[in-house]
Amino acid sequence: MAGKVFAWFDERLGLEAFYSTVLDRKIPKVNWWFTLGSASLFLCVIQALTGVFLTMYYVPSPAVAYDSIQYITKGVAFGWLVRGIHHWSATLLVITLFLHMLRTFFYGAYKFPREMTWMTGVLLFLLTLGMGLTGYLLPWNQRSYWATTVATEIFGTVPFLGDFLFKVLRGGTDLSALTLARFFSAHIWILPAGVVLLLGVHMVLIVKLGISNIPGEDE
Amino acid sequence: MNEEQKNKYYDKYLQAKQKGVKFWPDIIYKDLIVSFALFLLVIGLAAFVGVAQEPKADPFDSNYVPRPEWYFLFLFEFLKFIPGQLEWVGTTLIPGIGILILLFLPFLDRNPYRHWKKRKIGLMVMGLIVLGIVGLTVRSVVTTPEVEEVALAGSIAEQVIQGQDLYSIYCVECHQPDGEGGEVVGVEGLEGVILKPINSQDEMWTRTDETLFNVIDYGQQDLGMPPNGLGYGGELPRNEIEKIVTFMRYTWDERAEIPEEAIVGIPALTEGEAPSYEVHISMVVKRYCISCHRPGKENNEYLMGSYQEMLTTGNNADKNIIAGDLQNSYLILTLYRESILDPATGEEMIGPMPPSKDLKAEYVEMFERWILEGMPETADEAAALSSPAVEEVAPESTVTEVTPEP
Repeated sequence: MAGKVFAWFDERLGLEAFYSTVLDRKIPKVNWWFTLGSASLFLCVIQALTGVFLTMYYVPSPAVAYDSIQYITKGVAFGWLVRGIHHWSATLLVITLFLHMLRTFFYGAYKFPREMTWMTGVLLFLLTLGMGLTGYLLPWNQRSYWATTVATEIFGTVPFLGDFLFKVLRGGTDLSALTLARFFSAHIWILPAGVVLLLGVHMVLIVKLGISNIPGEDE
Repeated sequence: MNEEQKNKYYDKYLQAKQKGVKFWPDIIYKDLIVSFALFLLVIGLAAFVGVAQEPKADPFDSNYVPRPEWYFLFLFEFLKFIPGQLEWVGTTLIPGIGILILLFLPFLDRNPYRHWKKRKIGLMVMGLIVLGIVGLTVRSVVTTPEVEEVALAGSIAEQVIQGQDLYSIYCVECHQPDGEGGEVVGVEGLEGVILKPINSQDEMWTRTDETLFNVIDYGQQDLGMPPNGLGYGGELPRNEIEKIVTFMRYTWDERAEIPEEAIVGIPALTEGEAPSYEVHISMVVKRYCISCHRPGKENNEYLMGSYQEMLTTGNNADKNIIAGDLQNSYLILTLYRESILDPATGEEMIGPMPPSKDLKAEYVEMFERWILEGMPETADEAAALSSPAVEEVAPESTVTEVTPEP
């Protein structure tokens, strides 16, 4: 019976082909540093899951954003844990990504034929920092408010485009309800959309090209 | 990379692959172990370290030292080394070039070799950059001042308690300890103004929390109430005003039920007990005196913020409190509602205290006993001075257990 069910799906989805091309393939023998990529992916998934739960209670308005987070940490069952995981996993994600990049650099894995894997990786790292920057404002506490004030001012110093960037980020000249709304939107829609897209390319390339080997002395 | 180099690379990679392992299960097994370890670490950090509590954003509190997320600290620190007029070099040019180099690294690095022994310069440059980033981050952490401890009120009870303390400092000089109002005495510019009570049912039922907040924040300047919010030149950040509002609502509005743990009374003295500054006097002072006896108020420079201040400050520091002498300690005389006259001119130097009405007799007695006992500071000092309490003189009839002396 189970065999029949599998065959039915396999006929339509090509499960066998997936198994043989993605899972049952030979890979060079590598060390533990090569787990940092999957570790980052894992933390990324945690961020997405906990983030979805947080949006069920979080309200992106200056009047209640702070209180909604108070409610998440004090009122919602395990809300404190979900928020804590989202917070700490973000921190660890930046670390694992940074180490992942250093590992790739050290083994020269960004060279032919993996140039595009490297470039999507760099963009993913920048997007992650963008997630950190936009997520930092959302709790609407003193720390987030003043850090974002300074961060947006820094964008304002960019030659020629500064004033424009400054106003786009803040939604005007002041850090206001508009700023919070667009940081929230960027944090849960715009930047994650970019992450999903680039991560897809990144992963397809990894499967297609295979993970890099540890180079020998003559390579 | 030319075709020959490419083919050579493919050969090598093929060899490595043949000597290699299966993606499933060998590689995935390692990945799962690391991911699982990270999962435990994240749960542990979330459960045992948690997320630091911060007060709500206050756009008017510009004294706050901005602190970015830790992984941006190195950029902030880096900017400190850039002179003001070249700011854009530090904020745009250098980070921009850095990002572009990183992004296009595969095309900028023409060296065909991968092994570290043949890429020493590249690795050294990267090593220096990483060291620089780590160094700047550490420097930033070390040089940024510690976050000031802010009393954060989580529960309603904590809000009420902290709100009452704030009320006692900022509001009592005019509105009186229980919001009962009356004639203002001894407050510059408002002398003799009659205030209506703010603790009445009329007041509580017709003013929402938001209204109360605005009144405290902006003041009612035509009626003589000065603004208290930082945004209008006062001293209070928004979260503190919110605490005062919570205190008022839960204390004076009979529709709100005050949590039991929020009711903090001043401990009464038992027979023969010597009061201490720590347990008794400081509590009375906090409710009834501190609103005027703090810096910046008209108070003959007599401050009552701490034990030391109470004993050593003021224009009459040597006479304010004299141990064991109730007849000559100004503090007690003013509580008896006597005026202290300037010995030289005969004019009133200090009026009765508190200015507008008597302190409750039990508190006056508390001050009397405190001065008679020589102003003990801590509860332990006071306990040593206390005469044996009544219950220790046990009646003979009770069964006494014989406990061996240690």
